[in-house]
Amino acid sequence: MFDKILIANRGEIALRILRAAKELGIATVAVHSTADADAMHVKLADESVCLGPPAARDSYLNIPAILAACEITGAEAVHPGYGFLSENARFAEILGDHGIGFIGPSAEHIRIMGDKIEAKKTALRLGIPCVPGSEGAITEDAEGLRVAKEIGYPVLVKAAAGGGGRGMKVALTAEDLPNALAAARSEAKAAFGDDSVYLEKYLQKPRHIEIQILGDGQGRAVHLGERDCSLQRRHQKVWEESPSPALNESDRARIGEICAAAMRELNYSGAGTIEFLYENGAFYFIEMNTRIQVEHPVTEMITGFDLVNEQIKIAGGSPLSIKQEDIVFRGHAIECRINAEHPTTFRPSPGKITYYHPPGGLGVRVDSAVYAGYTIPPYYDSLVGKLIVHGRTRTETLMRLRRALDEFIIDGIETTLPLYRTLVRNTDIQNGDYDIHWLEKFLEAGGGDHIK
Amino acid sequence: MTKSPLKSSLAKPVLDKPVLDKTGLVESLADIAKRLDLSEIEYQTGDLKIRVARQMSTSYVPAPVVTHAAVEPVKAAPAPDTVKAESAGTVKSPMVGTAYLRPAPESPAFVEVGSTVKAGEKILLVEAMKTFNEIIAPRSGTVTSILVQDGQPVEYGQALLVIE
Repeated sequence: MFDKILIANRGEIALRILRAAKELGIATVAVHSTADADAMHVKLADESVCLGPPAARDSYLNIPAILAACEITGAEAVHPGYGFLSENARFAEILGDHGIGFIGPSAEHIRIMGDKIEAKKTALRLGIPCVPGSEGAITEDAEGLRVAKEIGYPVLVKAAAGGGGRGMKVALTAEDLPNALAAARSEAKAAFGDDSVYLEKYLQKPRHIEIQILGDGQGRAVHLGERDCSLQRRHQKVWEESPSPALNESDRARIGEICAAAMRELNYSGAGTIEFLYENGAFYFIEMNTRIQVEHPVTEMITGFDLVNEQIKIAGGSPLSIKQEDIVFRGHAIECRINAEHPTTFRPSPGKITYYHPPGGLGVRVDSAVYAGYTIPPYYDSLVGKLIVHGRTRTETLMRLRRALDEFIIDGIETTLPLYRTLVRNTDIQNGDYDIHWLEKFLEAGGGDHIK
Repeated sequence: MTKSPLKSSLAKPVLDKPVLDKTGLVESLADIAKRLDLSEIEYQTGDLKIRVARQMSTSYVPAPVVTHAAVEPVKAAPAPDTVKAESAGTVKSPMVGTAYLRPAPESPAFVEVGSTVKAGEKILLVEAMKTFNEIIAPRSGTVTSILVQDGQPVEYGQALLVIE
């Protein structure tokens, strides 16, 4: 087990990692940009090192500076959180070359799953059901038209180096396809430096259901159930819940075991999430994220396991302490991501939080690094915090969520709290009757117009 | 209707006309103090001395409850004074690493307190991952203080020395 770890991230996840490390008795090093000198986790860490000016490339993406920080503090391992360098295979390799642990899977697994074409090939090989699509990159329009005809329109052109919902273009008919291919290529080149694209069948009303897994790199792996993350806006998840209103126990057990078996086969080490689109009873693999995810607390609430704690222990060489039969799903959990944005225009609203009062009570968890007087910097993402609510049934959880949202005060900036207050009162949401297009359609139809 | 002397004395600033009415005087002084946002006014004429003081209301913002654990800025980097010497002559570290005051363990230091330096001269090294980076004097002058020790870990922006 490590004596000291460095947290290579910021905001709420850095605080999350710090908490897990403290509970394990591990000393913590917080690294930060000048803009984050007043961050909560920096104040709470045992040591802190300023990496550079605000820009991510000079700080949170600054590999030499992070390495130097490990060197001068004697940190034995780095937890990369999510985003930033968490899925950067080269970073994992460099750390390894310097004898510093990386709290995550091997560079090879990061690489395989980071390339969406390779990931799909690997998934198919491991027996994970996939979306019908091209077998590899589409290099010529003629090939694209042929494949699209086979799988059937509409189709989605996706960037191989993309992920997280970015770099995708829909082609409704054969006429649209050449333009979609060209547009996707140029966007991919600009955003990811790689214009490789592939095709997939575009599902009309799927749900986004993902499976949380843990592997120890020593042949063991378990699944911790699913999260339904269908409520999204511009491919960004907004509300996540577990269990999914669409799945029953046998669906869960079936897809969960497929994923766990695949991870055993791969000998995967650490936490990971396998994401699917789910339509008409069938699962279609879209990608795997080889890191802890924003919405991991939802799984923690229904299983009782601390996933970050498990990540650290696994990276320290411990065998997986959890067996599949130890994992029992209790009750229901919902997470709302609260962003510093206007609730319906989503215009960013950085600035100083003048008054902050989070909700409390049974089954209410707030994962946030903000405090009264804290200024949200404009350089990074707009996540203020996550409100996670747990209850014995979905109905109880919804009532609790409504109550908690109404208690939550964040003054001084605009937040998306009013949007959630509306969603929790919506009939479709209460019935669990939504798919990945629901939220955007709801907003377009004026569902949020009464807000402000 | 006759104006009361009180009201008429309030109608004009008290200094414009001789005032014999003490109550009116106090009220006028208070009025001036409030209007000009003064904390106190003292007026003396002959044996009469009047002082009017105002209770300045400070805006009190109740400290909101921080529900997190004790928020103590703990910066335990193995360092003596990371004093924020924010003078224009402060040379700050451009990177994370270990500061060295001399080019090699047995060599004399680049500079000492009192040394004269010219802009462009090497004054320090910051080493990271076995790569030594030269810190160059940004201006000419005299080294008035050295804020790090030989072999001390430093972070980005940390004050290294001051050249005046």
